[in-house]
Amino acid sequence: MRNEDWKKISRLVSKRSLWMVHFCTGCGAMEMPPVMTSRYDMERFGMHAMATPRQADILLITGYLAVKTLKRVVQVYEQMQDPKYVIGFGSCTINGGMYWDSYNTIKDLSKYIPVDLYIAGCMPRPEAIMDAFLKLMDMIDKGEAIGWKKYRKYYDQYKRNQRMAFAYRLDEVKEIKEDDAK
Amino acid sequence: MMAQELFPQAQKIREGRIRIETTKDEVGTILRKLKENGYDHFVMLSCIDWINDGEFELVYHMWSYEYREHVMISIRVDRENPTMLSLRDIFPQIETYEREIHEMFGVNFIGNPRLGDFILEGWPHIPPMRKDFDTEKFVKDFYYKIPEVREE
Ligand code: SF4
Repeated sequence: MRNEDWKKISRLVSKRSLWMVHFCTGCGAMEMPPVMTSRYDMERFGMHAMATPRQADILLITGYLAVKTLKRVVQVYEQMQDPKYVIGFGSCTINGGMYWDSYNTIKDLSKYIPVDLYIAGCMPRPEAIMDAFLKLMDMIDKGEAIGWKKYRKYYDQYKRNQRMAFAYRLDEVKEIKEDDAK
Repeated sequence: MMAQELFPQAQKIREGRIRIETTKDEVGTILRKLKENGYDHFVMLSCIDWINDGEFELVYHMWSYEYREHVMISIRVDRENPTMLSLRDIFPQIETYEREIHEMFGVNFIGNPRLGDFILEGWPHIPPMRKDFDTEKFVKDFYYKIPEVREE
């Protein structure tokens, strides 16, 4: 068998056993209990919550992130093994949502870690979450969920953005802008 | 004894709401006296920035389950050099509120050993809850200017 075929098989298998990190932030976490328990029962898709990031495949960012939380999220994300997938929940992860003018929440998650899929809504209903899970499986099957590869490839850019956010520094942002202009 | 009997200067705002305006030095005595007289729940400590007066207002909220009465003890501190004595020996939970107000408004609570990074880690600007901190400008100049990850 060729290497490509093996990859196909491994994707086919792994999309049916996605374990998620049990890490919730923001209000979107409120919609997880019905998804995890018998009402929507995500276990029928082979998904369940895992206590440690090293054994998990997906990271759900369930809402707004304070800079302090972002530090923890980055740490968790980096501890996860490849391949790993990130789903951003709700408008807060997309553009800041109703916290667009808060001094302490990041506005666009994809500047700091690669996001494979966003779910619209504030907050997304369990139906939307289930739909996103199916979509993610589909993307994995087709080999489109490549956020983890992006993180490796553009590691320095992600790290630069993370450093800027952690420092809350404006001048550092300007310096980098000037560097880019040169 | 109810708060109005203990302190003649207490104003009744409405049923179940009492406000006492006092000075920095007397807060400790008032809190202790209230604690001994059935007001044994320290609810919270809040802070208001009266920028035009050049003062911060600190409000100590107390509650009595016995009288079902909410007492607010209000003091003003100077905005330029805001200091206040820590009252963590009366109610230990005050320590946490003092940490928060130190971080958000920059009030220095003398005698609190844990005034340091709390919710914000390594915040280099003026405390963000002060009225002269322009949140919207900060967000636009900072978060929105962090560059997107460019893919080649
Ligand atoms: S998108 Fe809405 S529900 Fe989700 S974290 Fe933000 S404010 Fe909360």
